[in-house]
Amino acid sequence: MIEIRNLSLWYRKDHKVIDDVSARIPKGRAVVICGPSGSGKSSLLRCINGLERFQEGEIIIDGQSLRSRETDIHKVRAKIGMVFQHFELYPHMTVLDNITLAPRKVLNQSEKDAENKAMQLLTRVGIPDKASRYPGELSGGQQQRVAIARSLAMEPKAMLFDEPTSALDPEMIKEVLEVMIDLAKSGMTMVVVTHEMGFAREVADEVAFMDHGRFVERKPAGAFFECTENPRTREFLSRILK
Amino acid sequence: MDLQVIARNLEFMAGGLVVTFEITAVALAGGLLWGILLGLGRLSRIPWIYHPVTVYVHFFRSQPLILVIFWFYFLVPVMIGKPLGAFVSTLIAFVAFEAAYFAEIVRGGVQSVSGGQAAAGYSCGLRYHQVQLYIILPQALRNMLPALTTQAVVIFQDTSLAYVIGLREFLRRVNLVDTREARSIELYLFAGTVYLVLCSLGSAAARRLERRREVGLS
Amino acid sequence: MLHYDFDWSVLWRHPYGKMLLQGVWTTVHLSLLAWAIALPVGVAIALCRIMPCRPARLVGGAYVETLRNIPLLVQLFFWYFAVPSLLPGKTERWLYANVRDLSYVLGVLALGTYTAARVAEAVRSGLLAVPAGQFRAALSTGLSPAGTYRHVILPYALRVVIPLLSTEFLTCFKNSSLAMTIGVMETTGMANYIDSFTFHGLETTTAASLVYLLTSLSVIVLMSRIESKMRIPGMIARER
Repeated sequence: MIEIRNLSLWYRKDHKVIDDVSARIPKGRAVVICGPSGSGKSSLLRCINGLERFQEGEIIIDGQSLRSRETDIHKVRAKIGMVFQHFELYPHMTVLDNITLAPRKVLNQSEKDAENKAMQLLTRVGIPDKASRYPGELSGGQQQRVAIARSLAMEPKAMLFDEPTSALDPEMIKEVLEVMIDLAKSGMTMVVVTHEMGFAREVADEVAFMDHGRFVERKPAGAFFECTENPRTREFLSRILK
Repeated sequence: MDLQVIARNLEFMAGGLVVTFEITAVALAGGLLWGILLGLGRLSRIPWIYHPVTVYVHFFRSQPLILVIFWFYFLVPVMIGKPLGAFVSTLIAFVAFEAAYFAEIVRGGVQSVSGGQAAAGYSCGLRYHQVQLYIILPQALRNMLPALTTQAVVIFQDTSLAYVIGLREFLRRVNLVDTREARSIELYLFAGTVYLVLCSLGSAAARRLERRREVGLS
Repeated sequence: MLHYDFDWSVLWRHPYGKMLLQGVWTTVHLSLLAWAIALPVGVAIALCRIMPCRPARLVGGAYVETLRNIPLLVQLFFWYFAVPSLLPGKTERWLYANVRDLSYVLGVLALGTYTAARVAEAVRSGLLAVPAGQFRAALSTGLSPAGTYRHVILPYALRVVIPLLSTEFLTCFKNSSLAMTIGVMETTGMANYIDSFTFHGLETTTAASLVYLLTSLSVIVLMSRIESKMRIPGMIARER
């Protein structure tokens, strides 16, 4: 479904942000990527949906190479949803408008259809009553759930999560993780950059530790936590798992 | 002090004020629209958009408006083969000139919108013009409102420069009355007062908007 | 398409070439003289506006508000048409008889006082940019108020003010063109004047444009050199 081949990205010649990374993420898999800040995890996500332009390597999504001239990057982005650390809801639009903007303008859905779908999604993430509110009136956890609904409105084939709970107060992390767990269990292909190891343990099929632009260790979830081989991985885990 | 001279000629001079407002309105609207395009161009990563736009903005910002007004008064007729008249060439000059200033205001406004907003829009499959139109510009314009208001006050004052090509806006009319009545002190105090009152209102509005925006941010 | 026959020799032909150069020279010394008035007056006004004395603040504020909300051209006309008649009869007559280039003098005064208001705003921005705590912190280490200004406040404020002042100087340079309306033969006025003889206004205004363009570029280049020498890492947040 998502295939990454020998991906490299750099801003300065002497410092590679992503260094020869390869991975294959089949349909329905949930992959968690963890690692220290600056390790390239967010950049990797941004390369997958074309927000970041990489210098070397290939990314193939559903058979379409991002490098190929025939690929319409906008269509690729419509198929892949992304959820951001700082939610990035549009502050000047209501929750409902936030969710229906892209379906109306990209998928050419009628306003009524888009709104119905949006209400369904809002119910799924647990806040149908907030439809006509503005993002500024919502708590962080509620905003992030709206952001997830906004991505789901485009009926994506895969979802990318860039540290979705890092900017949340502890009491609100749970409500967002519950939505993400529900999503993973329903079979969504997910790539999640996070420090929430509880989430990884519960639904991740595979966990990868990234450091200095490379995958240091990659294992199925159970094995990742029980038998870490690499000392760096162990050191990192010991620091974030109390 | 003969204040009667103002009363006698008020209608004539007030007519000039109407012309002034007309020029201001057109310069504001046209300059802003063209300035938005230029401002976005200044942020473009495409070289054949960025460089010409940058040259345009730097060029017009280096010129005195009087000279630009002369330019368009001479240049446009030469280019289209027939004379254009003071009013129209002034409007073109103002739009072209003020747009360079609006471009920098727009550039600042767009940059003040968090980068993540555009990323969120693109991630849903929206294209560049959709992201700008629905997500970035509405937020940017709200942030720019104080600076735009200040620039509107500047434009209002700049209209007086159309004097040099004989356009019968407010100042020119005051000047004409003066040549007839020779009551310079009263008349120019009057002109100054009118501008002072109107522009102070505009500047005060801009300050209010700036304070409201700061409150909203906190 | 272009129904015009260009004659660029008008730019160097006698007497027009010389007239153009004289115009440029006039622009230069007019701007510099106005700036020489604007800088001290502007700084004084800015200081008035931040002093603890309320009347001083009001006077300073009134000066800035008045001169910034009236177009420069109106102020110029006021100086030229109205001010001489405000003076006592003898002085007025003396002025007209003895001051050779009264338009020039009045132009300098108008431009100088107007630019002073703008300089005042720029300097005030610089002074306000210094974080409030700096003054208290310096005093608490035992520095006198004068020493605080000299060693802490001023170096910080200058780094904000100097770029703003360079912009204001360029504005002053451009605004000198308004003096043509009262008969001063500076660059723009001269370009227009030559056109009235030769009907080659396009060439002369091009030349005038180049003068302003080159001046602007020179000041910008000079300023970026100065700014890079003054720069302190991380001090004033710059865009990446």
